Amino acid sequence: MTQAPAAMPREPRDDPDAAAVRAAQRDRRAFEVLYRRYLDRVYAYAFYALGDHHDAEDATERTFLAALKGIDAYSHTGAGFRAWLFRIAHNTVSNAMRSRRRKATQPLPEGWDRAAPNADPATLVARAEEGRRVLRAVGELPLDRRQVVLLRFVDGLSAAEIGEVLDRSPGAVRVLLHRALRDLAARLDA
Amino acid sequence: MPTQRTPADRLDQAVDALLAGEHVTLDASLRPALSAAEALRSTLLPVPPGSRFQAALAGRIHGDRLAERTLRAVNTTRGRLIAAGAVSSAAVGVGVTAYAVWRTSRRHARPAHR
Repeated sequence: MTQAPAAMPREPRDDPDAAAVRAAQRDRRAFEVLYRRYLDRVYAYAFYALGDHHDAEDATERTFLAALKGIDAYSHTGAGFRAWLFRIAHNTVSNAMRSRRRKATQPLPEGWDRAAPNADPATLVARAEEGRRVLRAVGELPLDRRQVVLLRFVDGLSAAEIGEVLDRSPGAVRVLLHRALRDLAARLDA
Repeated sequence: MPTQRTPADRLDQAVDALLAGEHVTLDASLRPALSAAEALRSTLLPVPPGSRFQAALAGRIHGDRLAERTLRAVNTTRGRLIAAGAVSSAAVGVGVTAYAVWRTSRRHARPAHR
């Protein structure tokens, strides 16, 4: 039995970006508001997915230029502007991964061990090592589970929004997340 | 009738709470998955892009708008040029025809040379 796609059309008032999107559709100068709001999150998603700052910059640039080009055609349906933008980011990242035949291994982000500047060195080393293990385990997940993990934990998207990005129902996304976390727990425990 | 929530639903709700910074407890079967979620939350830290890249991209977004405005202006100018050209051609055509008619009528009006 196939699972019925979840009906989740939203009114524009449910989308926190609705006003900014309408403004950008009237006057493209207003797109800068959306750009500033989402730059860090799109970049972080691309960085963790592609594992390289240069590739992440390239994917981020493509994402925002495509969004700017398509903003007039955007309509307030589905999970909102954020999901629409991350769908573009996801497609851009997927294309980059395909064209470069890159296996997304995850290097540590710069400044990772500066999170607790007053911690003692032994704690920092242990944290950095733990971080490497986690990132390695994320990189070893099957692609669909890895994508769900990144969109959920890096970008804070809900199951409904991730469903819009990946063309799946929110229920299917929740199941994928459950499997991904169980899988990660087993890898980290090993 | 209340529906039974699946483990995936309960875990998803726990992740929501975790990402909101709340303290989360779950039954033993989901605890390892929740521990993995906690590890992800403390590992997948924000990675801000470089300031040079930010400035360059902002410039490109602005540049695209500029390019679009320029293109629109050129298109408008081109339209005006085409319209002006058509009017000029028509005016020249009308002028030439009028001159030819005038010349012909004068020739017919003149007495013939003997």
